Amino acid sequence: MYRGREGQWAFYLHRLSGLGILVFLMLHVANISSAMWGPEVSNALMKFYHQPVFQLGLLLLIAGVLYHGFNGLRIILMDFTPWGVRYQRQLWYGVWVLFVLFYLPFLVKIGGGILGGGHGD
Amino acid sequence: MAIKSKRYEEARLEASTNLELYWWVFMRISGVVLVFLLIGHMWMNAIIADLNKIDYDYVAKRLSQTTWKIYDLLILALGLLHGANGLRYVLDDWIRNPSRRFWTKVVLYGLIAFLFVLGSLSLFNHDFGVN
Repeated sequence: MYRGREGQWAFYLHRLSGLGILVFLMLHVANISSAMWGPEVSNALMKFYHQPVFQLGLLLLIAGVLYHGFNGLRIILMDFTPWGVRYQRQLWYGVWVLFVLFYLPFLVKIGGGILGGGHGD
Repeated sequence: MAIKSKRYEEARLEASTNLELYWWVFMRISGVVLVFLLIGHMWMNAIIADLNKIDYDYVAKRLSQTTWKIYDLLILALGLLHGANGLRYVLDDWIRNPSRRFWTKVVLYGLIAFLFVLGSLSLFNHDFGVN
């Protein structure tokens, strides 16, 4: 299942997105805890992160989270149902359907924000 | 070694230790919980709220409510543990040299533990000054 075609892609993407999310989570915690050093420090840091390039990164991150989450559900189905492994390929395409459904609102909102300006103030 | 099996019964046979099996189960359970917590978290902050308006006051207002403190603490704890164990799987697979693998883990686990302390401190021990 992990050799070739969809199963292997699913596996690599799962690892890659997982590592990406962990790196983001570390930066995110550090950023939010900057609030302990007061509003000035915190707001300066947040303003820095409101630049469009980070918003693009955020779109990538949200994609990573949604893929990792839905593919994680696919892994769980494969682990705990008698039919999951047999249908792993179909499940993988199901992951992408869910992904598109949930990703579109974020893409429109954040993508629109990047294109429409209004960031960074 | 990390478990490679795709079925619970096989995973149980393959697990070198009970602890390894518990981590395997933990990844599944925390994963399901995190899917819901994170979609909710992202939806609230990127769709309902305006990302570009997020600042100290917004965070302060959110974190003055116990519900959100607990919500965020759950994400913090489950996310870091899930991430740390996932990282362990990757490091076990990718770093062949035992001493290099050991020290990489020491540094990264240390960093994760530090961030957990930092994150919980800002959630519970910091007065955001909102009445």
